[in-house]
Amino acid sequence: MREIELTSIELKDVSKSFGSVFALRSTSLSVRKGEFLTLLGPSGSGKSTLLNLISGGYPASSGRILLNGKDITNAPPRQRGIGMVFQNYALMPHMTAFDNIAYPLRVRGYSKDDIRTKVTDALARVGLTGFENRKPKQLSGGQQQRVGIARCIVYSPAIIMMDEPLGALDKNLREQMQDEIKILHREIGTTFIYVTHDQEEALNMSDRICLMNNGGIVQLGTPDELYFQPISRFAAQFIGESNLLAGSVDDAGDLRIATGYSLKVPDHRGLVRGQRYEIMLRPERIHVARDGQGEVTPATATARGTVVGVSFIGSMTTLAVELPDGTLLKVKSTSLPAQNRYKVGESIGLRWDPEDLVVLRSED
Amino acid sequence: MVTSATRGAGPFVAPAAILSLLVALVPIAFILYFSTMEGTSVEPFRTILKSSLFHRAMTTTVVVAFWASIISLVLGYIVALHLARQTARRRAALMVLVLLPFWTSILVKSYAFTIILGREGIINSFLSWLTGAQVALPLIFNRFGVMVGMTNYLTPLIVFPVLASLLAIDPALYRAAEVMGAKPIRIFLTITLPLSAPGVLAGVLSVAVMALGFFIVPALLGGRQDLMLANLVDFYTREVLDWNIASAVGVTLFALVGIFAIPATLIRRTKGRIAS
Repeated sequence: MREIELTSIELKDVSKSFGSVFALRSTSLSVRKGEFLTLLGPSGSGKSTLLNLISGGYPASSGRILLNGKDITNAPPRQRGIGMVFQNYALMPHMTAFDNIAYPLRVRGYSKDDIRTKVTDALARVGLTGFENRKPKQLSGGQQQRVGIARCIVYSPAIIMMDEPLGALDKNLREQMQDEIKILHREIGTTFIYVTHDQEEALNMSDRICLMNNGGIVQLGTPDELYFQPISRFAAQFIGESNLLAGSVDDAGDLRIATGYSLKVPDHRGLVRGQRYEIMLRPERIHVARDGQGEVTPATATARGTVVGVSFIGSMTTLAVELPDGTLLKVKSTSLPAQNRYKVGESIGLRWDPEDLVVLRSED
Repeated sequence: MVTSATRGAGPFVAPAAILSLLVALVPIAFILYFSTMEGTSVEPFRTILKSSLFHRAMTTTVVVAFWASIISLVLGYIVALHLARQTARRRAALMVLVLLPFWTSILVKSYAFTIILGREGIINSFLSWLTGAQVALPLIFNRFGVMVGMTNYLTPLIVFPVLASLLAIDPALYRAAEVMGAKPIRIFLTITLPLSAPGVLAGVLSVAVMALGFFIVPALLGGRQDLMLANLVDFYTREVLDWNIASAVGVTLFALVGIFAIPATLIRRTKGRIAS
């Protein structure tokens, strides 16, 4: 019983196919009340399909969708009481900001006074007080999306869905609005379902991320879990940067990789001796140093390699390091001035903590 | 206003401009010349202003043009709504059906209507056969016949501008309104209708301009009461042989058309500016 009360929206074995093509394979997902859940994935991964099924854009091919315990699988969109923010804003071009925000209230038959109070409130919440008489064309992209958000929160829908709402904005504004949406979510406490293909946006904003690919869920978890404990090659590569190494488990239970190194892995559970596994190592978890400098000494180095590429990209410098057997590792380290920076051809020591090795246990 | 699009347009526009100057402006100048008795008096205008026949034809013209535009708008809007909801491929196919009557001469279509609507035409014969009694509904040589003939011709002219503005509406607006809880009627009244208004206005004005000048349809499908200004010009030219009076009626019709044509052009221009 308590379970149901805490669940905002629940999908039970929901699938969607267009003709013989599956847009969403049978999927179950439960979103908690007040949660900020992000659907993350490349285009065609099924995230928009999932969103459309919840909003009622088209009917599910199979399965059931429950909103606050009520079956809405076949309910028309207008009866679901959901709010939606669109990538291209979808504001009525012939209406002022005020009338756009008042639209859902007028649909619901609110009195003139109530409408004025609520709209004024919503405008203030998104920082657009004084803009009520502007038409969408007279507003910047960021302001238009704020109107879109105000139009959504004004009628307190059970859940608010945002379909790549910041996709049309430039980088700085996007980051600023990410924070605004986060604050808004904290203030109003409504369940948010947020769709994006931008991993940084997902990591920054979400309580949980639902990573999708090929019409199905790959991994569902907190941003930390997805970043530090990816379960598959796809998850490891889609979120953040990664080095993937393959090896087989030796008699000591360590992973022997092609380079000949034996790597201690933090978690031996379920590893089968002799079997091949892939492991992931984040580039920023690898420490590098010239011989005799810093904490990496020939004695403590996990491996040695030759620098074959250097790209200075601001705060971080990306190095491509070739191990003796030809394996390439990507290493990210804090940038140093040009005279101290690692140079191509230099021989360096590498060190990493066994805790940073993640065994990818799931096939994609 | 010289823009990059209009600069250097002279060589492209000149042939058409010269041709229309010759075949339109020169005759119009002649009509003006005749209507003022070779520029000496306004007597012909005084005569028609006193003529009850002219008054009747004037009223008929305005009333017929008004109703023909309204009926064409309603019929054309419905067709355009249907077309806007189709897939692009289906729409292209259905558009041919809308255009089909357009490719037929109005004379041929008007004669076809005499066969369909006549005393012993297809409709009356069918109704007689159905009821077993002699049915002879007055469907032709009256206002009804004129309306049928005119709306048949004018409806496609509404469909295209209205369809263009319907297709310009972002489908996400409909989705947004639905998610916010709006029912189809409210969506139509608050989104579809206001956003298609420019197309409606452009369509109605151009249809009204055409309707004012109708000649063949009232001549073939109308009765004695359905004399329009264009028919009156014909009457004075060929029956009475008074070219000065005929010209004065023509100038009046021309001025009447101008009243509608000028706002129609202005709307098109502002629309173009918004789109650019």
